[in-house]
Amino acid sequence: MVTIDLSTMPVREGNDALRAAAKRGEDIEILNPDARHHIGVGLIHPVTVRVKGSAGYFCAGLSHGARFEVESNVGWGVGDSMYAGSVVVGGNAGAIAGVALRGGEVVVKGNVGSRAGQVMKAGTLLVCGRASFLAGYMMYGGRIVILGDSGDRVGEDMSGGAIYVGGKVQSLGSDAKIVDMTPEEDADIRAFLKTYGVPFDGTFTKIVNAGTKLRYGVNEPISRPLPHPVFSEGDSYWNAKVAEDIHAKSLIGRYRIRGYGAAKPVPHFGDIAIKVDPSRIGAAGDPTKAVKLAMTLGERHGAKPLTLSMPVLIAPMSFGALSKSTKVALAMASRLSGIVENTGEGGMLPEQRKEAAQLIYQCLSGRLGWNIHDMLKADALEIYISQGAKPGLGGQLMAKKVTKELAAIRGIPEGIDLRSPSRHPDIMGADDLVIKVEEFREATGYAKPVSVKMGAGRVRDDIKIAYKDGFDFVQLDGLQGSTGAASTEVLENVGVPTLSALQEALDGLNEIGHDGSMPVVMMGGIKDGVDAVKALALGAGAVAMGTAALIAGGCISCMQCHVGNCVVGIATQDPEHEARYKTELQAQAIHRFLESVRWQIAAITQALGYSDFRQLSRKDLVALTPEAAAITGLPYDPDYRVVDEQLLTQVA
Amino acid sequence: MSSCKPFSLDLAADQSGLPHYQPPPCQVACPIGTDVGSYVGLIWSGDTAGALEAITATNPFSGVCGRVCDAPCEPACRRANSDGPVAIRALKRYVMDALGPDFHLPAIQPDKDKRVAIVGAGPAGLTAAQDIAAEGYKVDVYEALPRAGGMMAWGIPDFRLPAEVVEQDVARILERCPGITLHLETPLGDKVTLEQLRATHDAVLLTIGASAGRKLGVPGDDLPQVVDGVTFLNKVNGGERPQLPAHVVVIGGGDVAMDACRTARRLPGVKKVTVLYRRGPDEIPARHHEISAALAEGIEIVYNVAPSAVVQASGGSVELRMLKTELGAPGADGRRAFRTIPGSDFAVAAGLVIAAVGQKAVSLELAKLGMMDGERIATAEADMSTRVPGIYAAGDAAFGSSTIVQAMFQGHKAAYYVVAALQGNAHPAPYRTPYRTRSAEVAQDVAWEKLGREEPRFLGLRDEPFADSEAGYDARTAKEQAARCYRCDTETGSVDYSVKMRETIFALAREDSGPAEVARLTRSRLATRPDPAPAGHRATFDELVFLPANLTRLVIDPYREACKTVTDLADGLTLAHPMLVGGLDAAPAAIKAAAASAVAESGGAYVGRAPLGADVPWLQLAPAGVPADPAAAMVLAVAAPHAAPVKPDLTTGQKWGVVASLANLDAAIDLAVSQKADLLLLDGSGVLPADWADLSGAPDLALLTKAVARLRALKAEEAFPVLWFGGLRSGTDMAKAMALGANGGVACVSAAIALGGVPKGAGVDFAEVEDAAGALGRFLKAAVSECSMMARCTGKTNVHNLEPEDLRTTSLAAQSATGIIMAGLKKAG
Repeated sequence: MVTIDLSTMPVREGNDALRAAAKRGEDIEILNPDARHHIGVGLIHPVTVRVKGSAGYFCAGLSHGARFEVESNVGWGVGDSMYAGSVVVGGNAGAIAGVALRGGEVVVKGNVGSRAGQVMKAGTLLVCGRASFLAGYMMYGGRIVILGDSGDRVGEDMSGGAIYVGGKVQSLGSDAKIVDMTPEEDADIRAFLKTYGVPFDGTFTKIVNAGTKLRYGVNEPISRPLPHPVFSEGDSYWNAKVAEDIHAKSLIGRYRIRGYGAAKPVPHFGDIAIKVDPSRIGAAGDPTKAVKLAMTLGERHGAKPLTLSMPVLIAPMSFGALSKSTKVALAMASRLSGIVENTGEGGMLPEQRKEAAQLIYQCLSGRLGWNIHDMLKADALEIYISQGAKPGLGGQLMAKKVTKELAAIRGIPEGIDLRSPSRHPDIMGADDLVIKVEEFREATGYAKPVSVKMGAGRVRDDIKIAYKDGFDFVQLDGLQGSTGAASTEVLENVGVPTLSALQEALDGLNEIGHDGSMPVVMMGGIKDGVDAVKALALGAGAVAMGTAALIAGGCISCMQCHVGNCVVGIATQDPEHEARYKTELQAQAIHRFLESVRWQIAAITQALGYSDFRQLSRKDLVALTPEAAAITGLPYDPDYRVVDEQLLTQVA
Repeated sequence: MSSCKPFSLDLAADQSGLPHYQPPPCQVACPIGTDVGSYVGLIWSGDTAGALEAITATNPFSGVCGRVCDAPCEPACRRANSDGPVAIRALKRYVMDALGPDFHLPAIQPDKDKRVAIVGAGPAGLTAAQDIAAEGYKVDVYEALPRAGGMMAWGIPDFRLPAEVVEQDVARILERCPGITLHLETPLGDKVTLEQLRATHDAVLLTIGASAGRKLGVPGDDLPQVVDGVTFLNKVNGGERPQLPAHVVVIGGGDVAMDACRTARRLPGVKKVTVLYRRGPDEIPARHHEISAALAEGIEIVYNVAPSAVVQASGGSVELRMLKTELGAPGADGRRAFRTIPGSDFAVAAGLVIAAVGQKAVSLELAKLGMMDGERIATAEADMSTRVPGIYAAGDAAFGSSTIVQAMFQGHKAAYYVVAALQGNAHPAPYRTPYRTRSAEVAQDVAWEKLGREEPRFLGLRDEPFADSEAGYDARTAKEQAARCYRCDTETGSVDYSVKMRETIFALAREDSGPAEVARLTRSRLATRPDPAPAGHRATFDELVFLPANLTRLVIDPYREACKTVTDLADGLTLAHPMLVGGLDAAPAAIKAAAASAVAESGGAYVGRAPLGADVPWLQLAPAGVPADPAAAMVLAVAAPHAAPVKPDLTTGQKWGVVASLANLDAAIDLAVSQKADLLLLDGSGVLPADWADLSGAPDLALLTKAVARLRALKAEEAFPVLWFGGLRSGTDMAKAMALGANGGVACVSAAIALGGVPKGAGVDFAEVEDAAGALGRFLKAAVSECSMMARCTGKTNVHNLEPEDLRTTSLAAQSATGIIMAGLKKAG
C-alpha cells in the first residue's frame, strides 16, 4: 500500500509514482486529489487505487485491469477508453462517463452528465442515479444500465450494444427503439448490480439501435471517372460529367460518394517553378551523399523525437480504407527508407507495428481501435481533428469493408456502413484539446511526441490554436488530400487548396511570433520530390505522401476506393481482391519510389548550390500564375524559363 | 478512310506527347504499337467496326492475329499482376468473328507511277505491300507457293488457324489496296530473277521467310524416319493427311514443336506423341497457351533431355539415343545454358522423329549474288538495306525466325525506308513505332473489378481433327472481358494524379529506373508549365470553396442530424427546401407533368411562364404586356431587354416580385424596394424568360454580389427573399449561391437532365425515361442533402445561416466577381 499525496506534488509526478507502485503490485491510496485531471491514466497493472475525494477529467482513463474507487465525484470522461478493470464513483460523474469504453465496468453511484457512454464499444456503464441527454450517443457495443431516468434522446445514433433504463425513458434518440428483453438478460443485470451492492427492484426498458440508418439505402451505380480535363465553363458548362453526376443522383436520391481527393484544378505546386538549372540535376555524382536530408520531428516538449532520413512521412491512411497487405507494405517501405508510417484511423495492426520502424498512432473521434497498449507501442501520438478530403465531417467506411477482422480491431459491429462522429466526444474547443493532449502525455509518461492532423479550413486561426495547445508538430492537409470514401461534393468543395493552406499556416504562426518549434508537415497532393522541394522552400517542415505512395505500389487511380472491390487489392477488405496485392513486391516498389523522392530532393537542393535541404527558401521559387503569386507572395513571372530549357525540350 | 500516309509510316502522327494520353504497357509491348486500349474500349461500346479500324490501322492480319498472335501485350498487361491479363488476343478474334469475313475496308487507289517488287507473301511482305500501296505506289508481290500467307498459311496447322482466315485477311489487303498485284507460284531465281525485278521496279524488298528446317545435328539425322518440323507442317497444311507410325517424337520446344506435335496427334495411326526438350519448363520458349493445349490433347512433354544419335531399329522404327541435361548459369541471351550429363544415356523408340529445332532462309539466287550472311540475308537493321543498293529485306529471312507480329513490324519498318527512298529522302528520321489513341470511352461495367479472365473455350481434338481447337467469345463474354481493361491509356478523373503523373510515379518506382532515368523524369517535371488560363475566363461556382469548421469553429455534432432547409418566400409560400425548379416551358407535356409531381412531392415551387400543374406553387414569369395570372402564387415582372421593369397589374393581394439581370439591376432593385416587392429573382443567364435560358453558359456570379451590395446600400437586405437563377448543377452550387446572399435558387437544365433531357444546341431533347418524376424527385432530394451537408461542414445547422464568410475563392477571377477573398490571401485585391 502506497500513499500519494497530491497536495505535495503535481499530477505528473503523482502518476509516475502511481505507475511505479502499480508495477510492483502495490495498491495505492491517493490523498488530496482535489478534482485534478488525469488521475491514474494509463495504469496497466491490476492494483486497487483509492481516491480519497473527487477526481477531475479522465480519471482512470486509458487504464487496463486496475480497480479504481473514487470516494466522491469525478469530472468528465471517467474511464475513458478503459480496456478492463473497474471504476466505482461514490458520487456523480460529469459528461461522457465511460466514453469509448472498451471493456470493464464503470459504476457511478450518483448521476451522470450528458453523452454517457459515447462511442463505447464493450463493457458496462452503470448509472445508479439518472442520466442527462444523449446517453449512449453513437455507442457501438457494450451496455449502459441507468437505474433512474434516461435523459432526453437516449441511444441517439447508437449502432450496437444496449441501454437498460430503470426509470423513465424521457425521449428516444434518432434511430433508437425499445425492445423486449429476455429474463436471462434481466437476471444478468440484477446479478451485476448485486456484485456492486446496488439495490434495485424496479423494471427495465431496453433500448437498442433501430437499424434504419446503418446502411445507405441504395447503392450508387459504379461509374469509372470520366477524364478530368473538361470543366464547366462557357459552352462546356453542361458537360458530360455534369450530366453523369445528375443522372447518378437521380437514381440514388442522395449525395454521391467516392474515393481519392479533389479532382478539379486549383492553384497548386505546379503553378510554381523552382529556379534551378535542370542540366545540373544529378550532374555532380550521387546527390543523396552530398546533401543533408536527415531531420527529427517532435522534440518541442522534450519527448523522444521521430528521426527521419529525409523530410518525408507516409500520410495517415487507415487499415480499413486500405487492405492489411497495403498497410504492411507501407510500413515495410517506411522502414526501408528510414521514415515514418502512420496508422490513420482504425487502430494499429500488429504486423504493421512489426514492420514499421517508426509509427505514428492516430486517435479519432470514434476512438476506433484506440487503446493504451498501442499508445505505449507507438512512436508518436496524433489527434485527428479533420482531413483535407472531408473536413468538418467524420470518416466513412462502407459496409463492404467492415469485415470481421476490421470490426474486431475497431471494436464495432461487423458489416455496418461505418460513419465516425465528426467531433471528438471530449474536444468541444481549444481548451478541451489542451487537456486531451495532456491526458495522452500523462498516460505515456511524456515520452512521445503528440501531433495534430488538420484539414485546411480557417488555417490562419486554427494553426494558432494548435501552437498554443502545445502540439509538437502539425500535419496539415489541403483540399487535394485523398480519402477512401467521402461525399464527392465535400471532396471538391470544402477546404482550401494545399498551397493556400501552407501559406496561411506560416502567416498565422508569424502573426503570433512563434519560435519555430512547431513544424508544419504539409500534405494533400504532394506527388514527388519536386513538389516536396517546393513545399519545403515555401516553409513546410516536412511533407507527407499518401496517394503517391499508393500509386507507387500499384494504384491505378480509378478513384473507386469506396466500392471495396479494389482491382489491385489496395482499397479492399475482400480476401480475393487483397490476394492480388503482393505485399513484399509492392513494399519494394514504394521503397524505390521513396528513394527516387530522396534523390529528387537531394538533386534539386544540390543543383541550387546547397548542401542541406533546410537552406531551401522562397528565393528559389517563382510563381507562374497570378493566383500562385497572390497566394504565396512569390514574384510573378509567367514566362520564367530556365536558361537551357530549349535544350531540354530538344532532348525530350 | 483517305489515302493519307498509312499510320505506321507516319512518325509525325505519334500521339504519345498528347497531355491526356499515355501509350499503355500493352501498346508499348506490341511491336507494331496496336491501339489496344481503344479497340478493347470500342468492343465494350459495341462498336466492332471502330475496333477493327483501330486494329487494322497497324495490323493487316487481324484475323490471323486474333487466333495465333503470340500476344506480347498480355504479359505486359497491368492486370496480369492482379487476376490475369485482359484477353487481348481473344478479343481481337471476337472483332473479326462479329464482323464476318465479308467486312471490307474502303479501297485506296494507286496514284503514283513508281513500282515496288516484294518477294515473299508472308506477314512481313504483305504488311510492307499494304503500306507501300497505301502510299499510292504499285506493288508486285511474288510468292513461290500456290497460296499467299507464308508461314501463316504453310506453317501453322488448320486447327489453330483455319486456312480461310489467312485467305480472308489476304483478300482484305488486296481489296483495300488495288495497287497490289499478287504473283503466285513465282519463285525467285526460278520464274523471276532479282536482276529482272531491279530492272522493272524502283525498289525491291525481300521477305522470303525462313522456311527450311534445320537438321538435328546428330548422327543419323538423315535417316528417312527423321523429318524437320517445317517440312512436316508444310505437307499437312498443303492438304496431306499421311498415315504415321504409332509413336511420334518431336524434338524442340518452340511454337513449331508445339504445332508439329499437335498436328501429329491428329494424324491417322498415331497413338502417342512425345516432345523432348533440352531445357526445363521455365525455359521452354513455346507459349504457355500452346503447351497447355498440347498437354490437354494428351501429348507428353519430357524436359531436360537432348538427343545424341538416331539409330535405325527393327520394323522401320528408329531408336533415339538421349542424354539427360542440367542447367547452368544464364548465357548472353538471358537463357540458362544447358549441358548434358555424362553417363545419363537412355533410349527412346520412335516411328517418326520430327526435328523442330529452328528454321533458316535458303535462296540459291541470293547466295549467288553474295547477299547471304550464313542462314540470313545480310540486312542492316538501321534501314533494312541489303548489300545491293535499292534492295531491302525484312522478316525471318533477314533477322531470323520470329513471330508474326515481329514480322509485321519489320514489314512496316522496311516500307518506311522503301517509301522514303522512293520519295528521294536519303536521310529519313530513324523508324520507331508510332503510338496513337482513339480515345474510346472507358467501360462502365459495375463488375469490372470482379470479372475474372475467361479463356476462350478449348475444343481440343474432335471428330474433325483439323477443325478449330478454340472457340471464339460470344458477345456477352467479349463485352465482359473488354470491361476488365484498366484503360491505362486514358486520362484519369483527377487533375492532380493525371495519367502522365501516374506514369511518372510508376517510373520512379520501377526496378530498372536508375539515377539517369530519375534525373530525366525530374527534369521533365521541372519543365512542366501550367496551362494558361483562357483569356476572359468567367468564374464559376467551381472556383468557390467552403471553409470547414475545425478548431476555431465548432464542428457540428450530431453527425447525422438533419440540417434545417425550410425556406420562407412569402406569407403562404413556405417551401420545404430552397431548390426551386424552373424554365421548363418548352419541355413536352409528359415531362412537365412528371416535373409537377416531383416538385409538389418535394415541397418545392416552380418558376416559369406557364404553370406546371395544379398542385405546384407557381411563380409566374411575366414579361411586359403579359397579364398576371390569378393562379400564380407570385407574379415576377420581367422587363424587355434594355427596359426598366414595371410592377405588374395584380389581382388583390397577389404576391409579386421582380426579375433582375446585370442589364437592369439597379432599376429592378429600386423598383422592388420602392414598391415593396415580395421577392427578387436574380437572372444569372441574363435571358429569362427565354426557353432554356440556363443553357447560355456560365452565369455571371458578379450579379449576386452586386445585387447584395445594392440592397445593402438601400438598407434593404432583409426586405424580401432573393432567388438565384443560372447554372445550378447541384446542391453545392445552391449552397454557394446562398452563402453569397441568395435565399434559394432555381434549377433548370439540371432538373431537365434529371428528367431525361439531353442539352443539344439551344434546346433540350428528352429521351423516354421510366419514372421521370421519381428521377427528378431523387435529384432534388440529393441536391438538398448536398446543400445541407455544405452548411453542416461549415458548422451551421440551417442552410439559411450560410454566409459569405464561409466561402473562399480559388481564382482571382472568382475573387473579383464575388468579392470573396481568395484562399491563402489576407485580404482581397
